[in-house]
Amino acid sequence: MAPQEPVAIESIDRLCTLANLPLPAERRARLVPMLSGLVAAANELSRKMAHAGYRAIVPIVRFPER
Amino acid sequence: MARTDLLNLTISEAAALLERGALSPVELTETVLQRIAVVDKTLNAYITVCGEQAREVARAAEKMIRAGYHLGPLHGIPIAIKDNIYTRGVRTTAGSKILSDFIPAEDATVTTRLKRAGAVIVGKTNMHEFAWGGTTDNPHYGTCRNPWNPERFPAGSSGGSGAAVAARTCLGALGTDTGGSIRLPSSVNGIVGIRPTIGRVSNHNVVPLAWTMDTVSPMARTVEDCVLMFGIIAGYDPLDDHSAQVPVPHYLGDLARAVRGLRVGVIRDYSLAHVQRAVGDAVRAALETLESLGVEVEEIAMPSIQGNISAQLTIESCEPSTFHQEWLRTRAADYGEDVRTLLELGEMYLATHYLQAQRYRSVLRKEFLEGFTRVDAFVTPTLPFTATPCGATKVVIENNQEEDMLSAIMQFTGVPSLAGLPALSVPVGFDAEGLPVGMQVIGRPFDEGTLFRLGHAYQRATDWHTRAPGL
Repeated sequence: MAPQEPVAIESIDRLCTLANLPLPAERRARLVPMLSGLVAAANELSRKMAHAGYRAIVPIVRFPER
Repeated sequence: MARTDLLNLTISEAAALLERGALSPVELTETVLQRIAVVDKTLNAYITVCGEQAREVARAAEKMIRAGYHLGPLHGIPIAIKDNIYTRGVRTTAGSKILSDFIPAEDATVTTRLKRAGAVIVGKTNMHEFAWGGTTDNPHYGTCRNPWNPERFPAGSSGGSGAAVAARTCLGALGTDTGGSIRLPSSVNGIVGIRPTIGRVSNHNVVPLAWTMDTVSPMARTVEDCVLMFGIIAGYDPLDDHSAQVPVPHYLGDLARAVRGLRVGVIRDYSLAHVQRAVGDAVRAALETLESLGVEVEEIAMPSIQGNISAQLTIESCEPSTFHQEWLRTRAADYGEDVRTLLELGEMYLATHYLQAQRYRSVLRKEFLEGFTRVDAFVTPTLPFTATPCGATKVVIENNQEEDMLSAIMQFTGVPSLAGLPALSVPVGFDAEGLPVGMQVIGRPFDEGTLFRLGHAYQRATDWHTRAPGL
């Protein structure tokens, strides 16, 4: 799979629009390098979790021993 | 008894003196409040000191004990509470400007239980704003500092509780732990802290950080003191939807049980990898001490552990950003810069990222549960490094490579948080600069008791926990 490309400022603009989060331009620009690293790591984890051996795995949002 | 001797009493020692009338709760509380007045100008471990209220409760405790009504080991004991835990009638800021005027009309369940046990609440401790960070470099209430070296950080987010306990400005404290916020300050301040199994201790009326990982628990100088506090606050709470209906064992009675024959796992290429040399040396020495007590140490592979940092960052980004969604749109300027940025980033993840991270937790948990068929607990350092300078955002662990503080600090504590497992941090030594090193012991779900036994046995064999910072 191709390496993750850095997140573009236009992507952050779109995400802010979708989230209805009115961030000033300088704050959007500050997020670019940080989000690039976080999203690359999150996508790497998503690829790992897409492995066939994990198909039956469900999310934990509540722990079972209770 | 001299004032210094009073301040060095553990909860267990003070409780014994109080019960037989050899120590007055008023004298003990006054001594602690005077200590706060002297050293907290340097440490900034408290946001609010409840002096008059504490004196009043101490006087009432004295009357009761004199009349023969001793409520138990916390009766008359000065305790501090992290400032994201509700205290009725006492400002609860969560370390934020946004909640700077919030005076709860109710207590948290844990506060109620401490009060019913007769504890004297001396104050509310400083913390990383809204618990979203690990330094307690608080822009609204000031930087909290480490009593072993005030130029160094106390970690966080329960940094005020950690510094307050280590500096003898309370005998024990409550903290909260999502990704390590009790264990990290326990480690760098040279004290003991336990993250409980999720559901073991009520989160009712505690300002949330990440709902699926938040916990509340004690911090103290000894494992025995943690047990005394934990025994009071643990147990089912109908007011908390995540509370577990699981019986609470008699931890104190189990503490003296021998640890010979218990098995401890060291995770291959993880537990002792990528740590500062002093940290690795101290944890290896602690494992040798445990072996000398008859504990068997075994290396275990856990391939799924890679990926834990991303999963933790994803969940710890998305859940706080959900809780703070409205304030981020209406009061953004009232957040500190670091927390505001993290909250903005948390709005940028996709739902699939969040759910894959939650699925990853299932994989990690299964692998731990399989490991627990071979061992009774796992050991790692609590942090890969000792206390960094206040204000640092980067840290060097090895090879002169600077790393981002937020990722580095959760290298070990994030794993039990994700897997929903209890974990204890216990002091195991100091580096060459006199800064404490902590060891994390991870247990089976609802088996805090084994962690307490291992930690207590270790503390009976060593004296790290008896050393005091020279403030």
